[in-house]
Amino acid sequence: MIGKERVLDILENVISLSSADQTEALFMGEESYLTGFANNYIHRNVGGKDCSLSVRVAIGKKVGSAIVNSFSKDAIKKVVRNAILIAKNQRENLDFVSFAKPEKRKDKDFFVEATANCTPEFRAEYVSKILSKTKAKGFIGSGKFETNALEVAVANSLGVERYTKLTVSTLKSVVLTDTSSGYSEYSSVDVNEIPLNDIIRESVEIAEKSQTPVSIEPGKYEVILTPYALADLIGSLSYIALNARAMNEGMSFLIGQIGKKVVGENVTMYDDGFSQETISLPFDFEGVPKKKVMFFDKGVAKGVVYDTLSAYKEGKKSTGHSLPQPSQYSPYPMNLIMEGGESSKEKMISHVKKGLYVQRFWYTNPMDPRNTVITGMTRDGLFLIENGKITKPVKNMRFIENIATALNNVLELSKERKIIYDMASVTAPYARIKDFTFTGKTEF
Amino acid sequence: MQEIVESALFAAKRAGASYVDIRSIQREEEDITTKNGAVDAIKHTGSKGFGVRVIANGGWGFSSSFIATPEEGERVANEAVQIALASSKTKLEDAKMSDSKVYQDRVPQPVKIDPFEMPITKKIMILLEADKAMNVQGIVVRKGSMHFSKEWKTFASSEGAYIEQERIVSGAGISVVATDGKEMQVRSYPNSFGGDYQRKGFEFIEEMDLVSHGKEIAEQSIKLLSAKQCPSGTMDIVLGSPQMALQIHESVGHPTELDRVLGEEASFAGTSFLTTDKLGTFKYGSDIVNITADATIPRALGGFAYDDEGVKAKRVYLVKNGIFVGYLNSRETAAKLDLEVMGAMRADNWNKMPIIRMTSINLEPGDKTFDELIKGIDHGVLMGTNKSWSIDQNRLNFQFGTEIGWEIKNGKIQEMVKNPTYTGITYEFWRKCDGIANKDFWHVWGVPNCGKGEPVQVMQVSHGTAPARFRDIQVGVLK
Repeated sequence: MIGKERVLDILENVISLSSADQTEALFMGEESYLTGFANNYIHRNVGGKDCSLSVRVAIGKKVGSAIVNSFSKDAIKKVVRNAILIAKNQRENLDFVSFAKPEKRKDKDFFVEATANCTPEFRAEYVSKILSKTKAKGFIGSGKFETNALEVAVANSLGVERYTKLTVSTLKSVVLTDTSSGYSEYSSVDVNEIPLNDIIRESVEIAEKSQTPVSIEPGKYEVILTPYALADLIGSLSYIALNARAMNEGMSFLIGQIGKKVVGENVTMYDDGFSQETISLPFDFEGVPKKKVMFFDKGVAKGVVYDTLSAYKEGKKSTGHSLPQPSQYSPYPMNLIMEGGESSKEKMISHVKKGLYVQRFWYTNPMDPRNTVITGMTRDGLFLIENGKITKPVKNMRFIENIATALNNVLELSKERKIIYDMASVTAPYARIKDFTFTGKTEF
Repeated sequence: MQEIVESALFAAKRAGASYVDIRSIQREEEDITTKNGAVDAIKHTGSKGFGVRVIANGGWGFSSSFIATPEEGERVANEAVQIALASSKTKLEDAKMSDSKVYQDRVPQPVKIDPFEMPITKKIMILLEADKAMNVQGIVVRKGSMHFSKEWKTFASSEGAYIEQERIVSGAGISVVATDGKEMQVRSYPNSFGGDYQRKGFEFIEEMDLVSHGKEIAEQSIKLLSAKQCPSGTMDIVLGSPQMALQIHESVGHPTELDRVLGEEASFAGTSFLTTDKLGTFKYGSDIVNITADATIPRALGGFAYDDEGVKAKRVYLVKNGIFVGYLNSRETAAKLDLEVMGAMRADNWNKMPIIRMTSINLEPGDKTFDELIKGIDHGVLMGTNKSWSIDQNRLNFQFGTEIGWEIKNGKIQEMVKNPTYTGITYEFWRKCDGIANKDFWHVWGVPNCGKGEPVQVMQVSHGTAPARFRDIQVGVLK
């Protein structure tokens, strides 16, 4: 880690070297380590340091940007020169008004030293504990244990100056038997908060119970989705619908629907980078503090996220959801949170007459994003529920579902929720949903 | 670079490594995107750094840094060994690599027009001209993009390898979205998700002629809004060349990666149905299906002179006359099965450890003309350009959707249909292939965004394809 003082010095230097009307500098430094395991041993164990210094300049309405992974004097001079040269050769972007203006809000670090200083020996010890269990059972352990430390700083010539640090640790276990697999994962800013025994127990139990699955026919089933599976669905929804770009491009199902009830009354979903129930930076990559943005309040559509460009275009304020610019995917909800209900996983199972328990989805992709239709497969644990009890494991199936319809069909939500972190953070409960459509099956 | 190489090799050996390689990359990239008549973004990216891979006490370790100094080379090498020693605590046997000839070579890549010498204004002009051509009433989004990269890579190993390679890539594409307020339809040229890419200079962009195709895709997307829904049921299909690239990618490229087969990707993108007992005997497709992995195709995006283990590029069969005969492998996985190493280990940048990646995976051309493929169908659908894709983690059950389709009746192409999808089980599907267009219809498509591995790497691969016909396929499952 380079440290706040030095990083902000670098950004100030960038701004002082620029002759553009407006200049923005974004620094990201990363120390990332990943211990990967498969076939009951560590097969991939990697780490390293990288950084990026991104400079965006505006000359009138001409915007250019250049990036370099160095902060030497020469590199800084060159990256500023490149950004200006690009801007000068640009055409005017009529939507551009300004980079972000300073806003007061206290920054907050999601940073834990123990995670930043985690050693390969520490990761190997945790992995060994998983593998000793899988080997003892005659199963195969695979997964990853990742510890990352990130420092991010943004400054611009309008007076924005932000710095923060973030750590993330993720332990994921996929246990394989001859006929099945089981899954568990956990992410936290603090590596010491990872519940190793719970991860081992969940992944091994699911693998053990899902052995020798039976084949059932596709059709509509009541389902219980774990937080992993539900996070997959609502995470997909966030990029196909819950942002200003999707609205602007005519892609979002929320066009013309703000203020109307679009999903079930028991569905409340928002983005909140300051919540303790997420893993987050306190500001976006333009230096705008993250605002809480409500997507669905008791089923009613409330809004979407904005970055500076999309906000100016509609006469609004940025909600602090810009990705590093320029980005064709920005703005983006990075801290999606779905409120839970009063139920529990066990209660939900007891309420199902005939249905499926889905541990995880895989390879979900939009088929018709305008109508929130996606497809994907089940994975790492699929079970038949009959008369309130899990009765047998089932071979993997393909689903095609309209996410908005599924969120209209939510029967129950659990109090318990889980943070699923993969670039963005999604916090989701268990959900019981009726009439979930499966269209195909496979051989395992 | 020589100083860092020597420093890292020496330090790693001193710290106990039995094998060391070091790979450095200096890369320059330029991205231009346009949207609705304006430049959306122009970005220039420069990056450099190096990574050190070692075996120590029988375990693997890798570390990397953006600070290119001999002192950092020493620190990174020591860290790689520390990581490898941690790996070795769980080892079941020592990591081994198959023998491979050691090369010293320098491979520049000449191009007709250096894309970084071409003024930005000219690039913008082409995209905005194409944008103008796409500006048809009813279109809500018009997009264009260009990408250029130039890199210089050095690979050195404790076995004595020292290879330098240049790589220049150009790519571009255009797309439109039409909507009537209820649904949306997209069309792209020359392919979806960014267009087409090759290891060529700016001449590749000029060959694409984006401007001439703008109006056609715009009009098609408008027409799709009122087109009839693709029929459902079991019927024959012809897949256009770009969609064949995706079909090969997901249902042949990924399942033949030997690290995946051996379980090394189990926790992420899954394993493969193509278990080692099937090598040499498994009926993957019909007799006319021949699929190669060929890193030697000039200018193909999945091509190179040497992979990231210093193995010289090769052309090998994966499927020959319908029988599965080969895997994509690495020196380590080749040693495990006592196979000849074929050179498919690559990393997407200096800060990633190489893993097995597709090179150029190609369905070899057949003997039919496009008209002959269509003529042989009583009722079916011609499908073109990928829109959606999904396949399970064993690479068996897939479902793909395309941007556009045309119904085929009595050997003739009829009206346009929207939202075409088809689904199947990989080997059953390939066994139903009964016609492949000839080499006049063959094109090598560049796919710049193949994701794999933990940490995720985004690799440039390619697929040589011609339109192909498949019998009795499940079509049309969109709700």
